Amino acid sequence: MSPSVGEIVLNRELIAQHFLMRVRLPVSWATPLPGQFVMVRVRDGRDLLLRRPLSVYTFDRNENSLIIELIYRIAGKGTFALSRRKAGEYIEILGPLGHGFDIFPEMRKIVLLAGGIGVAPLSFLASHYRELPTGNQQEIISYLGAKSTDQLVGADKMKELSTEMRISTDDGSSGHHGFITELLADDMESFTGGNSVVYACGPSPMMRRLAEVLNGQPIPCQVSVEERMACGIGACLGCAIHVKDRGDKTSVSHGGTKDNEPQYKHVCKDGPVFNIRDIIWS
Amino acid sequence: MSVMKGRTDQLDNYEPLTAVDIGGLILKNPVMAASGTFGYGEEYVPYIDLNRLGGLIVKGLSLEPREGNPPPRIMETPCGMLNAIGMNNVGVRAFIDRKLPFLRQFDMTVIVNIYGETIDEYKKVAEILSTPDGVHGLELNISCPNVKKGGIAFGADPDTAHEVTRAVKSVTDLPVIVKLTPNVRDIAEIAESVAAAGADAVSLINTVTGMSVDIEQRRPHLKNITGGLSGPAIKPIALRMVWEVVNRVSIPVIGIGGIMDANDAIEFLIVGASAVQIGTANFVNSRATMEIIEGIDHYLKIHQIRDINDLIGTLKTDR
Repeated sequence: MSPSVGEIVLNRELIAQHFLMRVRLPVSWATPLPGQFVMVRVRDGRDLLLRRPLSVYTFDRNENSLIIELIYRIAGKGTFALSRRKAGEYIEILGPLGHGFDIFPEMRKIVLLAGGIGVAPLSFLASHYRELPTGNQQEIISYLGAKSTDQLVGADKMKELSTEMRISTDDGSSGHHGFITELLADDMESFTGGNSVVYACGPSPMMRRLAEVLNGQPIPCQVSVEERMACGIGACLGCAIHVKDRGDKTSVSHGGTKDNEPQYKHVCKDGPVFNIRDIIWS
Repeated sequence: MSVMKGRTDQLDNYEPLTAVDIGGLILKNPVMAASGTFGYGEEYVPYIDLNRLGGLIVKGLSLEPREGNPPPRIMETPCGMLNAIGMNNVGVRAFIDRKLPFLRQFDMTVIVNIYGETIDEYKKVAEILSTPDGVHGLELNISCPNVKKGGIAFGADPDTAHEVTRAVKSVTDLPVIVKLTPNVRDIAEIAESVAAAGADAVSLINTVTGMSVDIEQRRPHLKNITGGLSGPAIKPIALRMVWEVVNRVSIPVIGIGGIMDANDAIEFLIVGASAVQIGTANFVNSRATMEIIEGIDHYLKIHQIRDINDLIGTLKTDR
């Protein structure tokens, strides 16, 4: 865990407003786990001050080089400035940070639910599962949702990694016309407790609907959440999230014993991955 | 060539004196980490050597733990950021039990920022912190803009500021620094008032209250609606206020506000601050404090200043 200066190898628009940045880092940089994130210094100078938190999309280490890939959507001035950075330039990346997804080698069905750019950590998670010794016995069933076909990011790579992939778009231009959580709800009976686990990352309305879909189901679910943060290392306490924490990231019952009163946790240190049943949706 | 070489050798061979005296508290150098930006110190151990810090101001502590404000608590703004954390902290007792033992391992000046909703609470927190080993000073937070009670409510009026300072001084032998808010008509008047009440030093400025709006949602970016602005955007304001205060009080002044590098810190020292605190810069660059310490050292060397105290308060004006 250290701030490192990397060299931008590639910074390319994948689809409208969505970019892939590939950075070569010093070999001393620690190996990230799926669900962990990095803080990227958009550029030097005194404006666009804060580093941006981005999930790790791919990571590749060999003897003398280390390559990380990040994908991001232009959502404001910071990500716009990031999209202007050129190959050959240097960029500061702090990480890997936070607690990632728990891995369950014994589960037969790995269910991934991604909304838009939320595909990034789930794609990394899928490749991690594929590299496990048990990887070829595990089915990866992925669900990708986007506003429309031209907003569907990371689908090709996810398709390669998945046993089965289903798509939905809000406008019906690809796959199911509607929300991705509706597709998952239709398939729920094929997933059973003890053999399936759900992982999700996407906009909070999607995650909230997912929590409803999973209500009463015996299937564990971990989600990667986002909140505005300044430091990424647990110092500023900016990235608060309201949870009932039971210290059990796989429990399938909704939290709420007297010992577990609602409290604020911090996304950068306690997360970004949480048990969906612990999150209190405001 | 030989002259140049001789000069370089000379520079390498002497170490400037960097210790400063803040109301009886001797800091090994004038660079401190500001409260609320450095957690309880442990968060920065992977990045810096805490032993090298002039001082660490621990996150503001209250008598009981505080949850803080609902999110979003952070918003970036031009050359700065807004925060409305709301004094999220573990409480003074948990700090002593769980955080302080870790800090004792370091050869470092530890100052604890304290906060209360009532004068009585300030006194209790100060009393509790006066017993254990490892706390070297207190910083009285009478300037937090993000809580409904306490904080700025005590720092906006000279008489109340006087009262809370005197109350805390009456229960502790530790040096007491009073952290001032810029959100007042005349900050020097508040400084004079707390100096008269026995403050050993003042630190300024806390954040400037501000606001930012999402025009699509027509909602404030912060759940708290308003927050405290920090970062380079406020540095000129901070510098001007430090200048006003050093001209009106004789106790040491600690400069805070948008210091991003050694040059910024040196501006505050020249204006008359005896020390500085680094805040928002820590979020942007985890090693900011170390780089500023090194940069000040370098400046002293190339200007052949043997003691940093010969630099403090040397602003030349034509008035």
